[in-house]
Formats: sequence, structure tokens, C-alpha cells
Amino acid sequence: MIKLIHLTKTYKELRAVDDLNLEVKEGALFGFLGPNGAGKTTTIKMMAGVLKPTSGSVVIDGMDLAEEPEKVKKCIGFIPDRPYLYEKLSGMEFLKFIAGLYGMNHASSLQTRIRDLLELFDLTHWRDELIESYSHGMKQRLVMCSALLPQPKVLIVDEPMVGLDPRGARLVKDIFVEESLKKTTIFMSTHSLEVAAEVCRDIAIIQAGRIIARGSSEELRKAAGVDGSLESVFLKLTEGKRIAHATPLSAS
Amino acid sequence: MILVGLAFWTLLFGLSFRVLKYFQSVEVIGDLLAHHLLGMILMVFFSLLIFSHIITALSDLYLSSDLELCHACPALLEEVFISRAIYTLTDSSWMVIVFGLPVMMAYGFVFKPGFGFYFSLLHMGLGVTLIAGGIGILITMILVRVFPAQRTRDVGMLLGVCGLGALYLMFRLLRPERLVDPDAFFSIAQYMAALQGQDSPYLPTHWMTETLWAYLSRSSEKEIFFHSSLLWSTAGALIVINVWVAEAIYFTGFSKSQEAKRRRAGKGLLDFLAALIKRPFKPELGAIIDKDLRTFFRDNTQWSQLLLLGALVVVYVYNFSVLPLDKSPIRVEFLQNEIAFLNVGLAGFVLCAVSVRFIYPAVSSEGAAFWIVQSSPMPLKRFLWTKFALYLLPMLVLGETLILLTNHFLEVTPFMMALSSVTMFLAVFGIVALGVGMGARFPNFNHQNIAQVATGFGGLMFMIVSAAFVALIVVLEAGPVYVLVMAELKGVPVAGWQWLLIALSFSAVLLIMAAAVYKPMTMGLKALSEHE
Repeated sequence: MIKLIHLTKTYKELRAVDDLNLEVKEGALFGFLGPNGAGKTTTIKMMAGVLKPTSGSVVIDGMDLAEEPEKVKKCIGFIPDRPYLYEKLSGMEFLKFIAGLYGMNHASSLQTRIRDLLELFDLTHWRDELIESYSHGMKQRLVMCSALLPQPKVLIVDEPMVGLDPRGARLVKDIFVEESLKKTTIFMSTHSLEVAAEVCRDIAIIQAGRIIARGSSEELRKAAGVDGSLESVFLKLTEGKRIAHATPLSAS
Repeated sequence: MILVGLAFWTLLFGLSFRVLKYFQSVEVIGDLLAHHLLGMILMVFFSLLIFSHIITALSDLYLSSDLELCHACPALLEEVFISRAIYTLTDSSWMVIVFGLPVMMAYGFVFKPGFGFYFSLLHMGLGVTLIAGGIGILITMILVRVFPAQRTRDVGMLLGVCGLGALYLMFRLLRPERLVDPDAFFSIAQYMAALQGQDSPYLPTHWMTETLWAYLSRSSEKEIFFHSSLLWSTAGALIVINVWVAEAIYFTGFSKSQEAKRRRAGKGLLDFLAALIKRPFKPELGAIIDKDLRTFFRDNTQWSQLLLLGALVVVYVYNFSVLPLDKSPIRVEFLQNEIAFLNVGLAGFVLCAVSVRFIYPAVSSEGAAFWIVQSSPMPLKRFLWTKFALYLLPMLVLGETLILLTNHFLEVTPFMMALSSVTMFLAVFGIVALGVGMGARFPNFNHQNIAQVATGFGGLMFMIVSAAFVALIVVLEAGPVYVLVMAELKGVPVAGWQWLLIALSFSAVLLIMAAAVYKPMTMGLKALSEHE
């Protein structure tokens, strides 16, 4: 469903993403881990069409993002790490705006879908309030509503748990698992190793713009030679030097 | 930027110098006029300073993101307040000082006063700034104590804009041009009385005006010390009062400004307006239009500027209705058509000024939420043209209103009416495209306040390019229009070679207009596609 082929992004001297090759299957809940500045957000922004790669390509559902951006973006739901929204719109108006952008114009089914999503994310009572009065967590939940609204085949998520309270975080984890069971492919970057260990069956660790390890939690433990939590595996793998070929980097 | 600033400074100095020189050459009333003008200038600067301090103090003392850190520091409340107040003072005063300096220098060059003038200008200027700052900050603290800071900014802006609009209208409708036309008054006594109308002796600007004038006119200096003392004791008292008031209410206001307020989305008129305007468009284009309209009309600092625009249109049209054409030695029909033609350029410049405030920031107004458009399936090309479509209709209405109403007052020929309205109709396409395209070419998605976008480098470039575009159209059409109008007024036929030149000129105008639409939009699209 997702293919990153020789994906590279350079900012002047800095190579933020370095010849990244990755393939994620349909319905996978993929965890993308890495220390600060490893290139997670840059990769995700390129996948969402917000950043232009220096070289390489992003292929989603068999379509190249650079060649067919509109078609590819119709398949994607994007949740960025910081929920910058139009503060002068209400939650309801914002979701209608998103529906408009995605060309969803079936009024009755759209209303039902918006109502269901607001209910799901516990925002029903706030739907007519301007977004400027929402808390960070509420804005984050509204962004998730908007990403799920067009029923995307691929959900690209950057740090989904930032700003969410424990109840919100539980809700989001459950929704992701549920969406994954419905064959939605979820590509999720996170700092939270507990979240990755709990919901992701497939995890990749990125450092200095390159994948240094990939596999299930168990496979990563073996590759790192650590018999502890995912945290100790992560620390061992990212402790400085790059571990080449910890696991096969081809499609899992 | 420095060159443009210097050019503006020189222009302002030159203009002030000429006016003052002219006043000096007028017997009896010349000095009175210069004295009166000095008082008016200082009064305007003083009012602007107070208003500027209210707006800046809201940001610097209540809304700035680094304030949380300042208040968490182990510093006394007075220390935090005083440091932020000094910051506010410098932040909101420099512009007025920069604009005021060339005018004051012109006074110095024309009247050649002694050292005392410059010394008084310096220390009394500082004193007046401190008083304006003290009043502005005090008003801000009281307003925030009553309303939340966010609402205070809206209320302040709204009041300010309404006040400015009303002042502008009032000033224009009083017809100040009559002051330099003694014929308009019934008697000399009445005219002198109008000139000598004194401002209040309790105003700090009065103390400064009288002191400066004493040096400029080399008259009695007995009150200089008294006025200086009044000014500095008032400034000192205001500083002390500000610190006292800050101790009492500043932190409570700051704390209140941190509380989020629930605000419901208004229904009714806005829903109706949005539904009406987006109806002819596809859903994705309609979505952008709907969002832009709601965002604009819910931001009090944005829509309130339409009031200023309304005042501008009224005054613009009014000016044409009171033009003393009958007093001109030139033939009236010729003058009417000449003014109507030049009015295309003037109205074009007005549209450029309006565009730099409303259309140029249209792309940047997406702010940090631009990722939503970038990651959506809507192509950026369609996004840009939607912005173009949204602003085209209101600008056409504005442009044609200015042209048709003024032409009506000028009683121009049907040919001039048709030519000027068609030229304006087509020029609006170019001006709007320049605004949207250059706004996309120089986007600023990280702004704190959308009003800042227009004052940046891109805004300046837009003003230069759009003004050059309007000027070029007027220059290219001037020759053919002269030939055609003269032929019509004199009843003589136009020669064959003249028709050729006319066709060439109008073709060039059409080409430039097409380029003004196409080029900036493609440049903007390219820049936006590569934006990171």
C-alpha cells in the first residue's frame, strides 16, 4: 500500500532523510520510531505531500505522489504533530470545509458521518464553538476527525498522543486498531515506545535519516541483543553507531 | 527598503518645506497658519501614539508568548511591568518619530530657530511620548481588567477604526481647503477667528507647540520653563500612577487573559452570505470561499477595516462633487474628460492600496493551517484561482463605483464613460491577480497578525508593481484618448495613421493586462508548490 523508494530530503548541508526505502502492506499498523531529529516528521510530511522530496518517490496505492498528487491525496488522511487549524471556524464548519476539499457532497450521509465522528471523539458538545476556544487535546481530536472523515485508505500520523489525556490516548489507540482491522493502512510516527509496543505489529527505527532496524517488537529485541522492554531496545539501537542490516529492510 | 525609506523621508521633508515656505510668503496669516499646522501635527501624532500604545501594550503586556516565562521568573511584578512598558514604549513610538522628524526638520530649516528649538524638540518629544505611552498603557490595563485581553484587542481595534473613519469623514466634510481660500469666508474677522481657534491649554501638545513656537517665532520665552515643567511633571506623575495601577490590577488582568473563553459560532447572516456567494462554485472551491468569508467576518480587526474603506469611497466621490471646475480657465468639457481619464489612474491606485491590505495577504491568511490545503486533494492552482475569484467581484464593484459615480459628477461624454469603465473593469483583473499571485510569491504563514503581512517586503513590491501597472495603462491610453476626445469636442475626423496608433496602444494595453493576470499567478503557483 505504501512504498518509499530512495526517498531523500536535503536541507542545504543537512541530509534529513537519506535514501529511504520502505514498504508497508495494506491494513498494517506501522510504527515509525526514532530519536529527535532522526527524520520522522520530514518523511511523514513528504508522504502527505506537504514537503517535496529532493529525490526518490512516494508511491501510495500504486500511484506515484509526484505524478498523480490529487488522486494520491484523496486516499490519504494526514494528522500532523501540531494541530494548527482555522481558529475562526467552529468544529462543525471545519469538518464541512474538509468535506468540501475532498469533494464530498452527499449532504445527508455527510451529516451522519460528521455527527458520528464528533460523537466518537467526544466533541459533540463543542461542535458549534469556535476552534480558538478548544484546548490542544481537543484540536488534536478534531484533526483526527477530519483525517478520518473522507474514509482514507492510508492514515499518516505524526506523534498522535501529544497533548492527549490518558482517556483520549486510549480512545485513539482503539480507533487505530479498529481502522487497521478495516484494512486502513496506518503509518504512525511516535516517541511513545509504549504506544508502539502496544499497537504496532511492525516497527521501524530511523536514525540520521536512515532505517536502522525493522520488525516486530520481538524481532527488534533479537536484533539488538537485548532482552528487556522496547525502551531498552530503542536505546541500544540508537546509542550512536548505526547497526547495519539489523533485520532485512525489504518488505515485511 | 532603506532606499525607499530615504526616498519617502526626503519626499515628506520636501513637501513640508514647500508648504512652510509658502506660508512664510503669505502676509499676516502665514505665521498663524504655520503655528496652527504645528499644533495640528503634534495633536495627530499624540493621538496616534496613544492608540498605538493601546494596541502594542495588549500584545507586550498580556498576549505575548514569552510572558508566561517572565511571570514565572523570580522578579518583582513592577520589574516585569516596567521592562515590558519600556519595550512597548519603544515598539510603538519609533514609527511616529520617524514620520515626525522630517516635518520638524522642515520647520527648523524654514524658520532657522536657535539651539533651544532642537533641545526642546528632543526633550519635550520624549516627554509627550512618555505621556501618550502612560495614557495608552493605563487605558489598556483598565480595559483588560473589564474585558478579556483577546476581546479588548478586538474592541480597541473596532473603536480605533470607527474613530479614525469618523475623524477622516468629519475632517474632509469640514472642507479644510477653505482655510487657504479667504474668499470662502464672509469677513476677514471670521477667517482670522477660524485660524486662531486655540486648543486646550491642558493638553501636553499645547505645551509643546507653544514652547517650539516661541523659539520658531523668536517671541517671548517667558513660558518655556513653565510649559516644560508642566510636561515633565505630568509625565513623571503618569509613570508613578502606571506603576501603582499595575501593582493593583496588572497581574489579575494578565491571569484573566490566559483563560480560554468559549465562543459560539454566529449563525444567520454569515450563513446566508456564505451560501449565496459560494453557490455558483464547485464544492471544493465553495469550501475555500466559505472558510475565507467566515474567517474574515469573525475577525473584528479585519472586517472593521471595511468601515474605513467605506469612508474612503465617500470622501473620494465627495471630492469630485466639490471640484471648482467653473473657476478654471480651461474649457470645462475638456477639463471634465481629462479629469475623468486621470481618475482611472487615481482610482487604480486606490484599488492597489485596498488590495495590499485585503488581497495581497489572502494566501498568507491561511497561516500555520496551510498544511490542510497542501495535504488535501485540491490542486494549488485551483486554490489560487479560487482566491482570485473570491476577490474579483468586490473589487470590480469598488472600481466601477469609483469610476461611474465620479464620472456622473463630472458629467463626462458617453465615450469617456465607456472607455474609463471598460479600462477599470479590465485593470481590476490585473490588480487582483497581482495581489493574489505576489501574495503567493512572498507568503508569510508564520505571522502573528495578518496586518503585518501587507507591510513586509512583498507588500512593498506589490505596491510598486501594481502602481507601475496602473501608470503604464494610463500612459499608453493617454495619446489615443486625447486624439479621440479632441476629435469629438472639435467635431473633426480622426486620420488613418491616428487610428493605427490608437489600435496599437489599445492592443498593448490588452497585452499588458493579460500579462498582469497570467504572470503573477504562475509565479505565485510555482513559489507555493515549492514552499516548505
